Amino acid sequence: MKVNEVPQDITYYEGKKRACYALNDEGKYVIVPSSGWSAEDVVNGLAVAELAANLEKTRQEVLKGLKSPLAYHMERRQMTPEILAKTVGMLSFRVRRHFRPDVFNRLKSAVLERYARALALTEQELKSVPGMSSEERLKTE
Amino acid sequence: MSREITAGGKTFIHQHAAHCESGVASALFRDQGFDISEALVFGIGSGIFFGHLFFVKMVGLPITTYRSQPGAIFRKAGKRLGVKFVTQRFRNPQKGMDELRRLLKEGKIVGMTTNIYWLSYFPNRFRFQFNGHNLIALREIAGGFRVSDPVLEHPVDCLAEDLERARFAHGPLEPHGFMYYPQSVPQNPDIKKACILGMKDTCNMMLRIPIPIFGVRGIRFLAKRIKKSPHKLGFAEACRHLANIVRMQEEIGTGGAGFRFIYAAFLQEAAELFGSAELIDLSKEMTAIGDIWREFAVMSARIIKQRGQTEDTFDNIYDILMECADREEVLFRKLKDVVRKLKA
Repeated sequence: MKVNEVPQDITYYEGKKRACYALNDEGKYVIVPSSGWSAEDVVNGLAVAELAANLEKTRQEVLKGLKSPLAYHMERRQMTPEILAKTVGMLSFRVRRHFRPDVFNRLKSAVLERYARALALTEQELKSVPGMSSEERLKTE
Repeated sequence: MSREITAGGKTFIHQHAAHCESGVASALFRDQGFDISEALVFGIGSGIFFGHLFFVKMVGLPITTYRSQPGAIFRKAGKRLGVKFVTQRFRNPQKGMDELRRLLKEGKIVGMTTNIYWLSYFPNRFRFQFNGHNLIALREIAGGFRVSDPVLEHPVDCLAEDLERARFAHGPLEPHGFMYYPQSVPQNPDIKKACILGMKDTCNMMLRIPIPIFGVRGIRFLAKRIKKSPHKLGFAEACRHLANIVRMQEEIGTGGAGFRFIYAAFLQEAAELFGSAELIDLSKEMTAIGDIWREFAVMSARIIKQRGQTEDTFDNIYDILMECADREEVLFRKLKDVVRKLKA
């Protein structure tokens, strides 16, 4: 790759740049900052879109009362039940059980606090998902 | 390049690097007065590798790695250059943060392994659960730390809370607050000898691991799997797998083509060091191979984006990967012969 071939296609690094090694005119390797590459954008866009679609699906399920908000917040942090379980120090089957709304609603505040800390949220945030009406929020409290 | 003052009053020069681990290791060496480039550390620490770990899944997709395992560059480079490191892990996050603060007050700069998801100064697109990102803490500031992340152009501020979460994150490859700093750097480190050791190790890793998913054979293994994937998984799912391979290559620090270029830069520096014309030729060949890897990424992106409406097919991808494998095999065999003739 030559210096002038270093991709500067897009600016989705939010102003940040990544270092690329490229050959200058004398054939020496130098570090050139790159602002992004369209090929990279395609594959990463696919992965980002997939995560967003899954998250939206979970949100809808929470709104329908099929899953607890915990499932949504775990996915938002890109965690799996296993990672979350290790972070809060529970067994993963227990975490999975807490994805059931009826079980989740009966949880003690001590347990909720452990989840809140692990997911970097407040307890209030943990109990709701975006798009929940205030009545529903009251119900879960 | 930008300057920072550490708590000890020393000037720290932040350099933009292509890979976090070699970037951090070289910055720590430079801070000790041992001037060494990122590329040299990458080569000496045998950073280049290939492996397709089809049985290890991340978000349901197999892992493809273009680098040696996290921590290896730093460990190997330190050993081969005779630099002694102090390394620590912690059970208790509070103790880990206290120890970090204490060292920073002493004026040391400290390298750390972190989880990239919790580092909120990164653009959202790069944040995902991966426990192998390295950075250096420079000094404590109000509410957090000044950190030098070699992947970024300039040093940034990081909240103490973020850093604690990042250092003590859970999941695969848990860092346990891993931190390290050089204890002593030898007066005249034998760079030539270290280069030879690094190159030999790389050749062995690429050519001689008797498991067919690693090294040059790993590339062929991957090529065959990609060729079969549309029949086995269906087109959409095959695209998903392919996208993930390219994503791991270009995006998330496991950098395929990028690493080939760093290695080419290393070969170039080594060629100057030894005065060897053969190494210059190998560096050029490595650059050419890196360009093919990039072409592979472009072609894959085209297939994924246009949903098979192009002339490119999975068979073309197979061909291009096979070419990569063949040329890398030739290159590392040549490198092995050249290294034998080099004198430290």
